Amino acid sequence: MTVAQNDAAPAAISVRNLDFYYGAHHALKDISIDFPQGQVTGMIGPSGCGKSTLLRVLNRMYDLYPGQRATGEVIFDGCNIIGPKVNLNVLRSRVGMVFQKPTPFPMSIYDNIAFGVRLHERLDRAAMDARVEDVLRRVALWPEVRDRLRDSAAALSGGQQQRLCIARTIATRPEVVLLDEPTSALDPVSTARIEELLDELKADFTIAIVTHNLQQAARCADQVAFFYMGEVVEVDSADRMFTTPREKRTQDYITGRFG
Amino acid sequence: MERSATSPSALTGAVKGNGDAVFAAIVRCSAALILLGLGGMVAVMAWGARGAFARFGPGFVFDKAWNPVTQHFGAAAPMFGTVITALLAILLAVPLAFGIAVWLTEIASARIAGVIGTLIQLLAAVPSIIFGMWGFAVLVPFMAHYVEPLASHTLGRVPGIGTLFRGAPYGTGFLTGGMILAVMITPFICAVMRDVFLSMPAVLKESAYGLGMTRWEVVRRIILPWSRSSVVGGVMLGLGRALGETMAITFVIGNANHIGWSLFSPGNTIASLIALEFPESAVGSLKFSSLMAAGFLLMLISLGTLVCSRLLLRTKAAGR
Repeated sequence: MTVAQNDAAPAAISVRNLDFYYGAHHALKDISIDFPQGQVTGMIGPSGCGKSTLLRVLNRMYDLYPGQRATGEVIFDGCNIIGPKVNLNVLRSRVGMVFQKPTPFPMSIYDNIAFGVRLHERLDRAAMDARVEDVLRRVALWPEVRDRLRDSAAALSGGQQQRLCIARTIATRPEVVLLDEPTSALDPVSTARIEELLDELKADFTIAIVTHNLQQAARCADQVAFFYMGEVVEVDSADRMFTTPREKRTQDYITGRFG
Repeated sequence: MERSATSPSALTGAVKGNGDAVFAAIVRCSAALILLGLGGMVAVMAWGARGAFARFGPGFVFDKAWNPVTQHFGAAAPMFGTVITALLAILLAVPLAFGIAVWLTEIASARIAGVIGTLIQLLAAVPSIIFGMWGFAVLVPFMAHYVEPLASHTLGRVPGIGTLFRGAPYGTGFLTGGMILAVMITPFICAVMRDVFLSMPAVLKESAYGLGMTRWEVVRRIILPWSRSSVVGGVMLGLGRALGETMAITFVIGNANHIGWSLFSPGNTIASLIALEFPESAVGSLKFSSLMAAGFLLMLISLGTLVCSRLLLRTKAAGR
């Protein structure tokens, strides 16, 4: 197994010797990987190989479920976040997450964004309006919703809802954004918009994206990690990974011979 | 290949056997029976009540006298008691049921949640007469000796709401009745709430936690708004039961024809009044008719509650 050697950017999150268990099932086996700051890390691999599991470790989402546990080290801002005494609310506000299916909250478009912000910051009305407008512009949703911010978010289309969820996540100004197959439920046009968006967002955020779409990984990611059976087989720059993979299993997967 | 008109694969022709027609007739009859039963019940109650309404007019609803000696009857006191005890029960049961449901779905481990969930269902299966006896033997003395004296010495001195907590500590009364009802309806409300909380998509909760919300914020801001209409439905189901409950409340309400703002004072409910007085009234007498009229009013209150909940749910559904 190879840990990525990235010369330019320091790691926003460093995972070292991470093991993860769903009860008795050993889902991640001795994983080590760096997520370089300001870059997009794409995670690919067949279903059930542990990609999403790793995301759920990075914001401790697994804590909601009894019987799931992690051992090893995940260093974020100098702190091992899978250790005890981590304030999960603060961690999750600094490591945001976007899910496979859009999950708008049962409230207005405006409140979907303002709500998360209010949890962590006190803003006056004007500042909050500005924040909402800013994030909606960044996800290119502003022109479509500017006249109906008070309408229910449930009335938006799937692609709009997903962009709203991304806006909601970045509105709390996290340092890392985790995306779990964010476009798998979307049409090609919405997918293209979200991919463009990732490219803009990485100026401000470190991004980890799980995807089953290899072209998407090739297009969006700076660094790609190939997962197989709970292990990280190979981590490399997207260019090298898709042209000259070092491992046989990686080559088999990206050429479609299994998975 | 040519198909004959009688082959099983022919698209036209006689349907095989007439089982379907028989089945349709049976289910249609079952549905009609409901209509007939409900209509018949309303008609019988109204017919039986005609004597009382003819004698006392609409004043029957507002008159709080119930005097068999002078043959003067009014339903105001038991109606008041019915509504007050049911509202008290809802007030006590809803927060309790909500707390249990949140704990079962969000906090407890799966195994403990299973055990407690089953126990709560068992509570719903306890016959109401058992609650009545328990209430009379345990709750009434407890209220009379501890809760009511304590409450009247503390809450009773607060201006305004103090009126609610003054009066002699009989043990029986509106508050005790409301408490018994609350214990009885909590399992129903809790079951509805738990089911709707469980049916909530996990990713919605996870995205709420993913923004850094605490458990309370997720419950208050995401789970409750999302499940509001079902929760209202569950509460109404409980209210309906509380309004009509007879046996348990008869034991603890005190059976006094009384209207007052002290929660400690004995009162009566329509169901309890009927249960106690019905065996002692001759068929065709004015008292019999008055009891029928009281029953008719209880039915109206229950139906009104149901209609209200339907309307509430409809506006919520349309607003979503």
